[in-house]
Amino acid sequence: MKSDKYNDITDAELLQNFYKDHDNKWLGILLPRYTLLLLGVCMKYLKNEEDARDCVQQIFLKVINELQKYKVDYFKSWIYMIAKNHCLMKLRGNKNVSVELNEKIIPAEEGQIDKTDFVEKEALLIKMQRAIKQLNREQQECVNLFYLQKKSYSEVSEITGFSMLQVKSHLQNGKRKLKLLMGSA
Amino acid sequence: MSDDLLNILSNSSKDIDNQKLMDYLSNKLSAEEKHEFEKILVDSDLASDAIEGLDQFKNKKDTVAFAEQLNQNLQKQLQKKKVTREKRRFKDGVWIYFTIILIIVILLITFFVIFKFLH
Repeated sequence: MKSDKYNDITDAELLQNFYKDHDNKWLGILLPRYTLLLLGVCMKYLKNEEDARDCVQQIFLKVINELQKYKVDYFKSWIYMIAKNHCLMKLRGNKNVSVELNEKIIPAEEGQIDKTDFVEKEALLIKMQRAIKQLNREQQECVNLFYLQKKSYSEVSEITGFSMLQVKSHLQNGKRKLKLLMGSA
Repeated sequence: MSDDLLNILSNSSKDIDNQKLMDYLSNKLSAEEKHEFEKILVDSDLASDAIEGLDQFKNKKDTVAFAEQLNQNLQKQLQKKKVTREKRRFKDGVWIYFTIILIIVILLITFFVIFKFLH
């Protein structure tokens, strides 16, 4: 792969370069970064190896065409949306799927908390501890084991008896709820 | 411990490294690396879905071969589009030059006819 010397260029920079000169070589560096990920996504929805491979090819074609038409701000989220929509369309037999493709997807906010003020940090800690107590039992358990005891998914699964998918779901939902609680309290 | 508590809400902005992805699927990561990788999965639906799907391939080594094949096809597709675009540009260019020459010829003929008529 010719991407070695371009390893340090971010997706946003590659896209910017492409919009400047419309040279497909930039897409030739950007898109292969996502091949494996797209293959996985397509396999998850289509559950067939050959269909997944065909699907990735079709997604690449679609992406190349769409990028010529409009500017994309957040490429990772956008290509994920394209892939999911494409897979869902295939599953529903190419009927019109009313999934809105919103390329102006706002990325998840960086939730880094400023730790310089000791008093503020203490207050945040208390707030966070209270917020965790408001999660349901399963989410609390998973959040504590994963984030505080730094266990892996499989270890959390072994300890709690939840499946890996359940662990993942509890963590994602738990984190989402914590964000809401910390934002609103 | 308090930093870990506060960092629960921080999002991992790291991009997925394909090699790490394959190592994770093949269970080659250390416990610490695995945990760090899974923190990315919690924050990334794309990565999370991808892992779920890649885990379903019968042979993990095949996925790398499939990806390489797809990348090769992609490069061919991009090259084809480039050639098509260049051909279209060339054709458009030829038509523009032809039109300009035609206009010049018509102007010359008109000038010649008017000149002959006046004399």
